[in-house]
Amino acid sequence: MQKKRILIVEDAIYMREMLVEMLEQEGADYEIVGFAVNGEEAVENYKKLKPDLVTMDLVMEVMDGIQAIKEIKKYDPNALILVITALGTPDQRDAVLKAGADGYLWKPFTVKNLSDVLEDLLRKRAE
Amino acid sequence: MTSIREKKSVTAVGYKFLILLFTVLACVILTFYLGVIEQETIVYTHLFYIPILLAGVWYRKKAVYVALFLSLFYIFVTYLQGNLPVDVKHVLERSAIFVLVAYVIGVVSEKRAKGEETLKETKDYLDNIIKSSADAIAVVDMAGIVRSWNKAAEDYMGYTAGEVLGTPNKKFFADPEEADRIMDIVLRDGELKNYRTTVLNKAKKPVHISISAALLKDKNGVPVGTVRVSRDVTKEVELEEKIKEERDNLDLILEGMADGVYIVSKEYTVEFMNRVLIDDFGDQVGGICYKVFHDREEPCPQCKNTEVMKGKTVRWEWHSRRKNRTYDLIETPLKNINGTISKLTIFRDVSERKRMEEQLKDAKERYMVIFEHALTALFVIEEDGRISLVNKEFETLSGYSKEEIIGKKWTDFIAEEDLERVQNYCVERRKRGAPACCLFKLVSRDRGIRHVNAYIEPIPGAKRCIASLLDITELKKKEAELRETCEKLTELDKMKMDFLNVAYHEMRSPLAPIVGYASLLERIEHTDRGKKYICNIGKCARELEKMINRMLELARIDGRKVELTLDEFSIPEVVRDLVKSLEPESRERRQTITTVIPEIEIQADKQKVVAIFTNLISNAIKYTPEGGRIDVTVEDSGEEIRVCVADTGLGISKEHLPKIFERFYMVDTSMTRKSGSLGLGLSIVKEYVKLHGGIVWATSDVGKGTKFFFIMPKRQ
Repeated sequence: MQKKRILIVEDAIYMREMLVEMLEQEGADYEIVGFAVNGEEAVENYKKLKPDLVTMDLVMEVMDGIQAIKEIKKYDPNALILVITALGTPDQRDAVLKAGADGYLWKPFTVKNLSDVLEDLLRKRAE
Repeated sequence: MTSIREKKSVTAVGYKFLILLFTVLACVILTFYLGVIEQETIVYTHLFYIPILLAGVWYRKKAVYVALFLSLFYIFVTYLQGNLPVDVKHVLERSAIFVLVAYVIGVVSEKRAKGEETLKETKDYLDNIIKSSADAIAVVDMAGIVRSWNKAAEDYMGYTAGEVLGTPNKKFFADPEEADRIMDIVLRDGELKNYRTTVLNKAKKPVHISISAALLKDKNGVPVGTVRVSRDVTKEVELEEKIKEERDNLDLILEGMADGVYIVSKEYTVEFMNRVLIDDFGDQVGGICYKVFHDREEPCPQCKNTEVMKGKTVRWEWHSRRKNRTYDLIETPLKNINGTISKLTIFRDVSERKRMEEQLKDAKERYMVIFEHALTALFVIEEDGRISLVNKEFETLSGYSKEEIIGKKWTDFIAEEDLERVQNYCVERRKRGAPACCLFKLVSRDRGIRHVNAYIEPIPGAKRCIASLLDITELKKKEAELRETCEKLTELDKMKMDFLNVAYHEMRSPLAPIVGYASLLERIEHTDRGKKYICNIGKCARELEKMINRMLELARIDGRKVELTLDEFSIPEVVRDLVKSLEPESRERRQTITTVIPEIEIQADKQKVVAIFTNLISNAIKYTPEGGRIDVTVEDSGEEIRVCVADTGLGISKEHLPKIFERFYMVDTSMTRKSGSLGLGLSIVKEYVKLHGGIVWATSDVGKGTKFFFIMPKRQ
């Protein structure tokens, strides 16, 4: 099975490193193809790298996650985007889904939480 | 009486004159014959005394002329005899005697004639009076026979003099005995004055007369008859009777009057008192008013008798100190039948009215004091909108004096921009007779614009209104300040919410790598010790996460941002899962959790119901000592579920019990408090139960434990 190519959008260095650790723990399934520290970079890198999945932080400088989701979805309606954020109110969740995100993971989370959500997402996409 | 006037006739005068002439001529011829023709030496002059006497009687002093004529003739005869020079002395002597005699007789007869004339004149005069008298005059002799009867008597009796003269007077009287009675009185007293009797006229009709009589006596003082003067007083008698009747009626009226009435004569004698006064003062008729009523020796200084006697009607008020009553007196002159004047006094007791007036005055004064000193600005508005009464506070409020305000329209004080609104509103309220309540700006003289709250109410029974104005300028200022503060607070609240949202994010963000790395570490082989450390890190991180979540939730409840997301679910299932998840904690503290829950399906926000149970149970775990018990009971009461979470903990004192559901309320805030709580759990429980339309409360026995209850509808 071909490894899923993942773009990590996250402004906090610890979170980026941890996500790499977590995804690599899963071994052969995922391949990190790039990073972005803000929305603008995320859109740019998405266009450049064409990843299978994007993990998207919401609160970032220059361009926030919501805007970035909209831009990416505009560019590629089939883009698969998982929002990973500490924002957790219902209206924030609504805003995220409305912007076109495909999944939602609430910080903090365990490695198991992450792999469950990812599997769930990819399975849904495959169907 | 018939007339006895003597008639002078020309023939009578001529007759006397002829006799005189004849006697004079007789004397002359006789003397001439005897003296000249017969040549008798002695001239008989004695005959001369006859004409002299006659002339003296008839013509008085003119007899002197006759005497002179006869004397001259005597002298002439003597001369013719030629005896004159011899007898001159003798002749002259005789002539002088003639003249003297004539003169004396003349004077005497003149005196007599004069007396007779006066007598005659008096007689004529009296006759005239008698004849023309309006009073009937009659003379009746001692036998009762009418001797004289004048015209007036004819008039009212109908009989002429010819018919009655010489007849007895008895027949005239209605009572014939009256004639003797009158005669007796006149004989006894010598006179009779204004005696009232009734006579019958020719037509046999009764005539009321007033009769006066006097005794007539002859020269020797022997009574010869009576002269009677009478007058027809029928009209007067009728009038008197009428007056008497009226007087009686008046007395009856006075007697029956509710007011006191009394009549006092000019001499202060009480002539009449009506029942009311007699009851009050006793019957004092006949007494002297100032003596019997006032115990004085002379008329009272305030007495109006003199004025009333002059014909004035006087009204005055008298306060009786003795009785402590006030009377309204009307005093008016009352003419009596006999022409005298009495004073009629109407005496009205006005003490009650006076007292009422006093009370009214008192009340009015009292209200005026209240009105004047009220701390609310007050004024009275007349029908035309003008101010007629104003108090001190309004003077202060408006800055104008009473004199300046009275007569002004009240709307003159309203600020231009409010005028139309207030006027329209008040007119509309006035139409319905309803009080008006409005806010407007009042333009004061020296304190600028004042904000007032006006209440204008119609005065019952009058066309006026009373207005009360409350100066709310300071309140307005305070209100503005308060609004500003409120706005600031709202802003601060928003800032707080923003801050909380950010803080929430920023606190959760570092938690993510902690939890994440801990989960990664768990996957690596460790010693038992290492495993325990990692486990503790994970647990603490989860605890911290829970606390952060609660804070955010509460902030959201404050901002009213919470809504229910309804689900259908089973209560026992939810509680069982929850207890299972909390068991590690309770097992550590060797506590027993028991649940008695029947199968109930409810419709509610599942997350929030879970939060309610979680908070209550974990609270119980936290505050129950090791080895304690926690009992969770749920009952189905049809429409609602009733839940009880009981523990065997420390209990909560009465002082704290009512406040435990308040936000941030902690029973113990000291350094020795049990850590791990922010005091938010119970307030979240309260808010969530309330959101579902339920209520929550607690009971507690200090030292024995606490029971939390809540009731919630099964369906929303």
